[in-house]
Amino acid sequence: MLKVIGGFIAGMLVVAVLGYNFMGSLMFREIPSPFGVEETVARIQQNIQSTGNGWALSGLRNPGKAVEADGGNTLPVMMIEACSTRYSGPILKDDSVRFLSILMPCKISVYKKNDGATYIGMMNAGLMGRMFGPMVGETMGHVAEDQEKFVQFDASKPAPAMIKATPGGGAGDSGSGAAGGC
Amino acid sequence: MLSGKIILLSALVSCAMLTTMSTFSAPAQSDAMSAATPLTRQKSASTADHSKFKELDQAFKTGPEVTVACLICHTEAAKQVQHTKHWTWESVDPKTGQKRGKKNIINNYCTSPVSNEKDCMACHAGYGWQDSSFDFTIEKNVDCLVCHDTTATYRKLPGDAGHPIYERREFPPKSGKFVDPADLKKIAQNIGKPSRSNCGSCHFFGAGANGAKHGDLDSSLQHPNKYLDVHMDEKGLNFDCTTCHATSSHEVSGSRYNMAAATKGPAHIRGNPDSSPAACQSCHGNKPHPQHMTKLNQHTAKIACQTCHIPEYARNDIGTELSWDWSKATRMGEDGKPFVRKDSAGRRAFDSKKGEWVWDSYVIPEYRWLNGVSTYTVIGDKIDPGKTVQINEVGGSPNDPDSRIWPTKVHRGKQPYDTVNNTLTVQHTAGEDDTALWHNYDWQKAIRAGMKAANLPYSGNFDFVSTELTWPVTHMVAPKEDALSCAQCHSKNGRLKDIQGVYMPSRDANKLLDTAGWALALLTLIGVLIHAGIRILTSKKAG
Repeated sequence: MLKVIGGFIAGMLVVAVLGYNFMGSLMFREIPSPFGVEETVARIQQNIQSTGNGWALSGLRNPGKAVEADGGNTLPVMMIEACSTRYSGPILKDDSVRFLSILMPCKISVYKKNDGATYIGMMNAGLMGRMFGPMVGETMGHVAEDQEKFVQFDASKPAPAMIKATPGGGAGDSGSGAAGGC
Repeated sequence: MLSGKIILLSALVSCAMLTTMSTFSAPAQSDAMSAATPLTRQKSASTADHSKFKELDQAFKTGPEVTVACLICHTEAAKQVQHTKHWTWESVDPKTGQKRGKKNIINNYCTSPVSNEKDCMACHAGYGWQDSSFDFTIEKNVDCLVCHDTTATYRKLPGDAGHPIYERREFPPKSGKFVDPADLKKIAQNIGKPSRSNCGSCHFFGAGANGAKHGDLDSSLQHPNKYLDVHMDEKGLNFDCTTCHATSSHEVSGSRYNMAAATKGPAHIRGNPDSSPAACQSCHGNKPHPQHMTKLNQHTAKIACQTCHIPEYARNDIGTELSWDWSKATRMGEDGKPFVRKDSAGRRAFDSKKGEWVWDSYVIPEYRWLNGVSTYTVIGDKIDPGKTVQINEVGGSPNDPDSRIWPTKVHRGKQPYDTVNNTLTVQHTAGEDDTALWHNYDWQKAIRAGMKAANLPYSGNFDFVSTELTWPVTHMVAPKEDALSCAQCHSKNGRLKDIQGVYMPSRDANKLLDTAGWALALLTLIGVLIHAGIRILTSKKAG
């Protein structure tokens, strides 16, 4: 019996170590974009607006501008904020999971790295939602499905214009809180 | 044996929990491929107040009239200007004798000014160059004001062969915007040393759009902060262009046509004879870092200052043009009419007149060996259409003591060529006549007219060929804190991964040395294990 428990504990330790090492990549995703930063942002914005399900843009921020104001250059980073009241509503109405408002609005980050390529960073909403019970799990599952649509691009279509002025988020600068969408 | 299996089974159960978790998540990496404001100037330090000169107190009607007045006192100025590239649009390579310059090159932006002089000469330091009959010896045709105006009201528009606006005009045509005529008397009475505004009025807007051509020169340098350019920082050193591009007899130093890629020796104090006052080393010397940073100072033997200190160019939202595809020009919209389209950032992306462009901001440079000597494909040169044509073949190699690793912008294009004579073609683009491409959208007529103006044979057959034009990047110098870090180059896929002929720790590996090192490490581990085993065995026996 002692050996069974010992083996189980050893397994748990292995899981803990592996979990510690891989949790970051499980919770967040990074995918390369075939377009430049501005075009990627514009195409995601367009996808968000055409997805339906109550999705609306709530902001576009450039965290790099704040860094520059404080002293230093950064490669471009643009953060698209979007929210769907259809999904945010049930969570905000439930006291037990209301703290998850900290994750709102949904954010998708578009940035350039030192290899010159553009990448998209986003949260793994599906996995994260499962940790907070069935209602949140189901809601975040829908969010995850829609997120996939946000990053599906049709290169045959011309690049849309980047929407800089969105409710609350300001014109791509380090503006204050985002009020639109949710 | 059984207990061992139980331990293994328990461990597997635990691991399975992790596996289940991971199936909820998508892979970490997946592929989405399915798919010219005036500057505020300091009070002039000039010893002459030009508003007090009676020669300038007259109602000038034309630019040449102003020049005549200037030359009364500045008797040698026009002669000096007439020896410069700003006047001749021509440069002779002192090493090869090759004639370069706008007059002789067909680049992969607007291609050539030949046959398009009336428009292109808006950026000529002269008046009246509208065709090949222009007399380069007439002194009154030198334009003093374009470089010396301090009012920022002097404007030269396309179509006037280098003359300023004399009558109020709608520009661009049908835009509803109007440009007032220049007050030549006021401008002449308020002249001064060239500012960023003067140089920038042409050099920031090369290729017909802000930032399009160079990438490291655009209107953001009118009022830069230190993160954009540590030398031009408006609240800091506030350099003008001419602070580095020191000028003598109107000859501006630091042209890419005759650039010094590897200036050696200590800093040269201004005033000393110096062939390259615009080089970094002119002020910083070739050991620019503090003495204890020996390794960094050693880098200057192979690396240009710009390589580390300009980590990206076009560091703003203006961006720069990466490619120009002329083969898409003359394409019409669904309604059969010409159309224009902008990219996501609002920059020109397509125009039926000109073709298609790709832009980007914060561009990572392409690095290459450069010794400052470039061989150009000039008008009439034979090309190999089977290859990408190099508009300029950049010289330099690791074994050349005059070469350094430089950051460059490579502008890629597709432009027309004569498929029989295998020459790049000159095309008549600008103008309102029937042969102008931007008027009638007819390539054949445009090429015929352009080649005739250039005195070149044209077979009547054309196609499009891929071309590349390489520019050394040298402006937009970042503060030292933003210079490249060691690992950005010293790594397998670092910035200099494609640079050959130089050993770079962490990028390059010697297989034999690596194998020997790993073998030593393995032998050490085996030795430790054997030693530990013996100690355990002997201690048990002793016990």
